[in-house]
Parts: sequence; C-alpha cells; structure tokens
Amino acid sequence: MTSPRARFSLLGGYYFGLVALLYLPIAILFLFSLNSGTLLSFPLRGFTLDWYTKLFAADAVLRAARNSLVVATGSSFAATVLGAMVALLTTRYEFRAKNLLLALAVLPLIVPFIVLGVALLLLFNVFHIERSLWTVGIAHTVVALPYTVLIVTARLAGFDAHLEEAAMDLGADYLTTIRRVIFPIIFPALVSAWLTAFTVSFDEFALALFLAGTTPTFPVYLFSQLRFANRLPIMIALAVLLMLGTLTLVILAERIRRIE
Amino acid sequence: MNRARLFISLLTTLTVLLVACGGAATPAPTAMPTVAPTEVPPAELTGSLTVLDWAGYDAPDFWIDFQNTYPKVTANFEIGASDADIYAKMKAGDQADIFHPYTGWLQFYVDEGLVEEIDTSQLKNWDKVPDNFKKVGQINGKQYFLPWDWGFTSILYRTDKIPEGVDSWAALMDPKYAGHISMWDDGPGAVTVSSYIHGWDETKITPEQLTQAQAEWTAQRQLNLFYWAGEPELVSGMASGDVWAAYAWQGAYATLLGQGVPVAYANPKEGRNSWIGVYGIRKGTKNYDLALKFLDAKLGVATGNNVVNLFYYGHSNGDVMKGITDPTLKQAFSIDDPQILQKTNFTPNLTAKQRDDWTAMWAEVKAAP
Amino acid sequence: MLDRRSAFWLLLFPPLLWLGLFLLAPLALMAAFSFRADLSGELLQAWTPTLAQYARLAAVGSYWRLLGVSAGVALVVAVSATALAFPVAYFLAFRAGARAGLYLTLLLIPFWTSYLLRVMALKLMLGSNGVVNSFLLYLGVIHEPIALLLYNRFAVVLTLIYVWIPFAALPILAALQRIDLALFEAAADLGAPPPAQFWRVTAPLSLPGLFAAFFMVFIPTVGEYVTPLLVGGSQGMLYGNIVQDFFTKAANWPFGAALSMIMLVGTLALAALALRVVDLRQLLQ
Repeated sequence: MTSPRARFSLLGGYYFGLVALLYLPIAILFLFSLNSGTLLSFPLRGFTLDWYTKLFAADAVLRAARNSLVVATGSSFAATVLGAMVALLTTRYEFRAKNLLLALAVLPLIVPFIVLGVALLLLFNVFHIERSLWTVGIAHTVVALPYTVLIVTARLAGFDAHLEEAAMDLGADYLTTIRRVIFPIIFPALVSAWLTAFTVSFDEFALALFLAGTTPTFPVYLFSQLRFANRLPIMIALAVLLMLGTLTLVILAERIRRIE
Repeated sequence: MNRARLFISLLTTLTVLLVACGGAATPAPTAMPTVAPTEVPPAELTGSLTVLDWAGYDAPDFWIDFQNTYPKVTANFEIGASDADIYAKMKAGDQADIFHPYTGWLQFYVDEGLVEEIDTSQLKNWDKVPDNFKKVGQINGKQYFLPWDWGFTSILYRTDKIPEGVDSWAALMDPKYAGHISMWDDGPGAVTVSSYIHGWDETKITPEQLTQAQAEWTAQRQLNLFYWAGEPELVSGMASGDVWAAYAWQGAYATLLGQGVPVAYANPKEGRNSWIGVYGIRKGTKNYDLALKFLDAKLGVATGNNVVNLFYYGHSNGDVMKGITDPTLKQAFSIDDPQILQKTNFTPNLTAKQRDDWTAMWAEVKAAP
Repeated sequence: MLDRRSAFWLLLFPPLLWLGLFLLAPLALMAAFSFRADLSGELLQAWTPTLAQYARLAAVGSYWRLLGVSAGVALVVAVSATALAFPVAYFLAFRAGARAGLYLTLLLIPFWTSYLLRVMALKLMLGSNGVVNSFLLYLGVIHEPIALLLYNRFAVVLTLIYVWIPFAALPILAALQRIDLALFEAAADLGAPPPAQFWRVTAPLSLPGLFAAFFMVFIPTVGEYVTPLLVGGSQGMLYGNIVQDFFTKAANWPFGAALSMIMLVGTLALAALALRVVDLRQLLQ
C-alpha cells in the first residue's frame, strides 16, 4: 500500500507535470519575445529587448489590451451575479419552470459562437444599437453564464437550507439572509465562477470580431496585426507581459493571504 | 468575512472604474455636416469617418496621406475578416462610410444598392490610375469603386524541395507533392484554378464542370496539408518546410524572399491570376465629401509606397509602381517583364448564384470523408 | 422587508430578461433565417418561409456524417478530459490544502494568454521540423519526422483535451469540496482502508461533478471550429468549420442558419436523452 507521502508526490507530480505542459508554449513565446528575428520559427536570431520597449510606445496595442480588460471585468461580474441568481433559484425554490430555466442558462454552451455573433449582430441591428465594447460585453456575459451557473449550483446544492431557515426564524428577511448566510458560504465558488467568466471573456475572439465595432479587444487586434511579420513580436511581448503581470498579482495575493 | 467584503468592494470599484474609463475613452463618432472644401483649410477640417477594412489596413501607414493633409479628422476602423464577412456586415446595416471589397465580389453591392457612385471629378489623383484599373471599378458603366491595391496569384514553391520547378496550375493537384501542398481556403478560388487547368470560361461554368471540379478538389484534399486562410499561416508553413507548393499571393513570396527562404513564384503556362482591391462609399453615408477626400488621399504616393513596401502588394497609382527600386519587389511584381499583364487572367465578378454554388461546392469538398 | 416569495421574483427577473433578450431572441432570429430562400433584398424585411435550405441540407450526406464525426470527437475529448482532470481536482481538493486557490488560479492563467499565440507556439513544437521531432530525430528514436502530431484529426483531439483539462477540473473540484470530511473519519472508524474509502465515499460523491464536467466539455466541443482551423489541416475539419464557412466565407446566412439549427436540435436531443438516464438534479441534491 502506498504511503501518504508517495501518494502525494504522485498526484503532486501529475499536477505539476500538467502545469509544466500548460506553460510550455508560454515559455516558447517568452523565448521568441526576446528573439531579434520576426518569424516564429527556429533558429533564434539574436537577443533583444526591443520588442518590450517598442511595446510601450504602441498606443493601439495598449488600448486593445485595456479594452479586453474592461470587457472581461464587466462581463465576468455580470455573469457571476446573474449565475448566482439562477443557482439560488434552482437550488432553493420549487417551481414548474425550474428545469427550463436551468436549460436556458446552460444553452449558450451549445450555440457556436459564430452563430451567436451573427444572431446578436442582427438583433442589435434591429434595435439600432451601435457595436461597441458594450455589445461585446453583453455577448460575453451570455456565454460565460453556463459556467458560473454550474459552478455556483454545484456549491449551493451541497449544503441544505437549514442555516437559512434558522436565520429567517430569527427574524432576518431574505435579502439579509442571502447577504449574511448564503453569500459567505458560497464565496469560494463565486470567486471560482468569476475567474472562469473572466478567462472566457479575456481571450474570446469570434464574438468580439463580430461585435466590437471600432474598438478592438486584444485578440481581435492581434488577429489584425498578424499580417505584419514585424508586428508579431510586439504582440508576443504584450501577451507575455500580461501573463507575467497576472502571475505576479496572484502570487502577491497568496502572500497577503498567508500573512493574514 | 471581512476579507470577502474587501474583495467584493475592491472588485466592484475596479469594475466601475474600468467600465467608466472604457466608456469615456471610447471614441464616439460624430458626424459633422460636410463643409465645402474651399471654406475650411485642410489642416483645420474636423470630423470623423468610419472605414470597414481588412485586418492590418487600419494602420496609419496605409492612410498616411490623409492623416497628413487632414490631421484633425479621425478615422475609425472596423475589421472585416473576408469579402463575405464585409458583404454580410454591409448588408446587416453596418454604418461604415467606406468599405474595401475585392474583385469578384463587387456586383453584389451594386445589385443590393449598398454603394454610392464616386464623383471622380473631385479626385486629384484619379488621372494617375491606369485605365484598365479604372475599368475594374466600373459596374454597369458607372464608377462605383476606386481601385487601390492589387496583386498576383500564382503557385509559390520551395526551390530546394521542387528543383524541377513548377509551370502549371496542375501542380496543386500533383501526387508527387502529397502532404506538402497548401491551397487557399476559398471555393471561387478553387473553381478559378480548375477553369485555368481545363481551359474553361470562368464566367460560364456549367453544372457538369462544377461537378468535375468538385471531384478533383475532393481528391486533392488527400494531398493537401492545410487550407490557408491568411498569408501568415502560409508563410510559416513554407518557412518551416512543411509546405512545398501553394496557391499564393505575391505578398507571401516577397516575405519569404526577404527572410532568405529559397522560394520561387511560378509563371504557369495557363497564366497567373490577378486581383484588385477597391474602396466603395456606402450608399446613404452622411460623410460623402469627407469620404471622397479619404479615397483621394488613399491614392497618394506616400500611402502607395507603404502598401508596396510593407505589404508587398501593388498600388493603383502608376507613379508608385514606376518608382519601385528594391530588387526583391521588382522580382515579386515582375516589373521587368512588360508582357506580364498580358499573361494574366483578371478575376471576373461573381453573380449571386455563382457565389452560392461555388461556396457550397467547396463546403462539400471539405466535408467529404 | 423582503420575504422569500418576493425575493423569488427579484432573483428571476434579471437573468430571465438577459437570457430572453440576448440569447432567445437572437436564436429565434437565426431560426427564422433558416427558412429564408437567400440573402438578397433588405435584410429584415418579411420573407416567405421555405424549406429549401433544409432540403439542400438533407441532400448532402457528408454534412450528416461530419456531424456524427464531430459528436464522436466531442465524446472522446469529453471522456478523456474528464478522466485526466479528476486527479487534478483530487489534488486540489485533498492535497493542496490552503494553497488550493493559488494552484487553481495557476492552472487558469495560461488561458489569459492569447489562444492563437499559444497554439502557434504549440505548432512550433509539433510540426515535422518542430522541437519534438528534431529532438526525437537527434536521439535516434525515429528516422523520419512523425507527421502524426499536426494537421489531422488526432492533433485536434489532443489539443482539445489539452485545453479542456483545467476547465473540466472545476466542477469536479466543486463536487469534491462539498464532501464532508467527517465521512472519511466515519469510514475509517468502520475499518475501511484508504482505497475503499476512495471507492465508497469519494468516487460516488464526485459523480455529479464528473457528469457536470463531461457535459461542460462535450456540448461546446460538438460545434468547435477554432482548433480544427489551427491544427486540423485538411483532414481535421469538423462540423463547426462548415457552419463557420457559410457565415464568413459564403455570405450564405440562411444555409448556415439551417446547419446551426440542425446541430443545436441534435445536441439538445442528445443532452435531453442523457439527462433522462442521469437525473442531474437528483445528483445535485
């Protein structure tokens, strides 16, 4: 029988092996962001930090990155809130259309983004709504919703309602109960859902291409710059920087949490 | 619990801040009433235009003359991913003032009433455009489009992998190169190639010919490594040695030459193909005069030089083409071959039925087992 | 004072409005488009409904076959990703301790880097002149580059599994985190060794998470088109690519809409069938 230590290293090894595999392409990208050649192929031509310095002069690139951040933050927030609402409804209430609501919330998973993009384009056209970051954000909220619903529902379903009933017996109205009883308990799931929704939105391309109008998000901008071989390294430098930035933030957050 | 509150309030503040900043910074296109050019000096003219263009053309290099002449006018760009995408967006009511289709797709805009006639008398650079280029932008006798960028299509191949060279479009279907061919992902393009190989009239493809083409391209799929949708894909495929022969525009040829990859651009016996990109003004635009100025500036020399040097595409301003000195580019455009345009087949405009039939044919090729 | 009953309407209204307006309405428009003869004329004028698009669809056997192939690919990807994600979720739930949040985020961060760029880097590794092949050739393990790794259906499946594992881990993790640790103590008290604890406590209670993960991966993968475009080559095309082509290359929205409707209905039917076999709500209880 394997000792707990051996089991840990097996599982841990599996996990870290997977992480290594996931970060391998990023390591390659990092390598090429320092490469003086512009083609994405070996052999490497020479070392340079040019791409990073040029990046900060590239207004359009930074603007596109900021657009992506704005859209991702807004849509992930909306998707988490709406998803939590649906999760509450399906786990704490009984009503006839319950299954229908759940199915509706999960429906975006089935719809290819191309179809949803064109369909939303038509809809916005009917209402004469100009394409903008808002239209992209709306689409992203829709497609992130299945994930937030599933994650929060999984958590909510796991603990029964007696805590809430106790709170209400003590005189709290439902809104207070949500705030002080349910919310703290599902908080980890909410963070998880928010992270997922953010991830879904940040790199989303198909919908953004259709619905962004004149303000491109980063993936759309990247796509538009791919034609220029000499612009590619700057885009890679930005992608690497963004990732390093989030990595740093996350590690910092962990440090702070450990201090508490 | 406190941590949770802190996190949530931080998140909310962040969201609100970013959304507010995002909203405030998004440029809102304001349509200024058009002002007669004689009243306002170019440097003082204000307003904004929206252009529906292909990826990359939004870079200031490609409208530098306009930016220099009218520095206070803002140009906003929407990206279209393909001719079909641009056409569909215009049909869906896109409010762009100017759009950029390519030969083959022009008839639809006229038939569907989506494009304004161009008042060429207002264009100072119009006489620099060769006549055969001007004709390309004329539909039903009226000048609806302004020719801008152009290029060839031919077979691009690695000289080290195919030392015997390529002299026919049939090379794209040659079993000798199995697993190393890359065709453009486009149905009408495929039909065009078939018409060259078999000597058919491209404007009068019969259903039997289409069926034959479908069978041939279905068989070709076994030899094809990947269908390329954009030049970067093709360039890296060829640079890595995975692709030996490909249907390609000369932009890819010049890029690879510049990077030192051993490639050659064929002169097939059936003749090369040539395509021309044009700009059109949306019917009903409120910025007609400003749009005309934009188009005029697009024909400028500085803009044209950038198209040639950065994209390796041709430009419709004759002076720009005559001024090319770079040997790589001269080779790419076959500038030293005065006969080249005689040996070239220009892409005719599709009818709606041809578009539907030929694209459906290609989808069936790709879906075949 | 808001009681539970009134809170119901407050909770129901926003998501319902959002989904109705931005999901159902566009889809209904799309469905209506599938009954349109062609794209000529004003885009939003009324048109006489016709079954022409569906008739054309029915006549082409290879589209149906491709839909079946895509569903098969989705099945393989979903099963593999779920299976491979389970140890990850297990590690995060039971071995990572306080660091679980950090480790989870670590898994997701690569997805904030452009997918396009990451796959370009992957192609660099997997191509016939790529890192993997050069390395194996150098070692003498192979004498000719392996073409199997790129530009075919196998590459599509591999890449999709690779991409889905971190996401599949999420619902499994959520399910595992719900397991009351006291259950393990109880089992141990009753004399169950760790393997038995796993099979009789952990595994059954993780089932809702496994099913959720499976569906979360399976359903969108049926319509997947980005990965086949990047690594599938000519042979790796899936149904989603054909749909995408009709929208973005052929400007033939009515036919594209018909193709999408067939796929939507088919996937919905599959999901409904599966849910009949496995009552999800019961599992979530």
